[in-house]
Amino acid sequence: MDGAALSMNLPLPEREASTDDAAALVRRASAGDVRAFERLYRDHVGRVYGAILRLVGMDRARAEELTQEAFVRAWQKLSSFRGESAFSTWLYRLGVNTALMDLRSRRDEANVDDAALEAAAGGEVPFCAAERGDLERAVAGLPPRARAVLVLHDVEGWKHEEISAELGMAVGSSKAQLHRARGLLRRALGGEA
Amino acid sequence: MSDTNSEFQWRSGLRQLGTAAEPQRDLWPSIQARIALAPRRSRWPKLVAAAGVLLSAGGAGVVAWHVHSGVEDAPEIASTALEWAQPENPKLAAAAQDLDNASAQLQQALEQHPDAVFLVGLLNRTNGQRMRLLQTPAASDDRQG
Repeated sequence: MDGAALSMNLPLPEREASTDDAAALVRRASAGDVRAFERLYRDHVGRVYGAILRLVGMDRARAEELTQEAFVRAWQKLSSFRGESAFSTWLYRLGVNTALMDLRSRRDEANVDDAALEAAAGGEVPFCAAERGDLERAVAGLPPRARAVLVLHDVEGWKHEEISAELGMAVGSSKAQLHRARGLLRRALGGEA
Repeated sequence: MSDTNSEFQWRSGLRQLGTAAEPQRDLWPSIQARIALAPRRSRWPKLVAAAGVLLSAGGAGVVAWHVHSGVEDAPEIASTALEWAQPENPKLAAAAQDLDNASAQLQQALEQHPDAVFLVGLLNRTNGQRMRLLQTPAASDDRQG
């Protein structure tokens, strides 16, 4: 308890671990060194949490829960990390996968009528410049699946092939969801302008 | 401002949302508590042990294989063990349990590596051994190898 309570007050590391440091930390953590894993957590939690936060529509409590889950999964799977990609990339993908697994387990949108969604997205509303806060709120207000596709494509820079594989949908569906999401976003931002 | 310029700014704004963010509280204590309780994955050593069981069960011959796991982010795996009846001979119960465990491990490994033909071969042999245990009469245990 004391260790845990103490560590809550530890400052974040002043610098990112170098590649060599990171490799050594991964090896140590893989061998069971919890302190090394804590260092990896502190070095990488910002990127993982940030991606998850956007995917869950800025729901901080949910994002924190899923970030914890992602790091627990990372600890369990560390021995399967072969260094074929950067550890930061492996961890980031694992975090995104954790959020997407959560999304897939929620079927809120299963009964949403495609035509209704298309109508809601519209197509006639012009693009409006928006501040970061407006954009974040508008993205957060999108239906979960459309939001996931838009965040992964337009924010995180994923390709439709990657998105469709992770979300278990056809590439065409990913493109259609992105079109809808952009339409909904345009409408939301237009309404605020 | 034209639509084109607005769209450019809008897309640019979206890309800029992709920054790191810090949780409002330190998540490490909770993670630390959970990993203290969470078993780590060690599928392949179990699989090797399963292969050992298979060999010791007799009749499998010499099987030499090497495992190269390229999967870095495998999905959670569900238990897909077959449900076998217990052998008539109670002295074979432990061997049956070992074979069941081996079969379950092999099926899980196959979910991760569906193209691994050697795993299919091992699984078939394991299930074959298990089937023969079921067919072994209670009085014939002395003949078991």
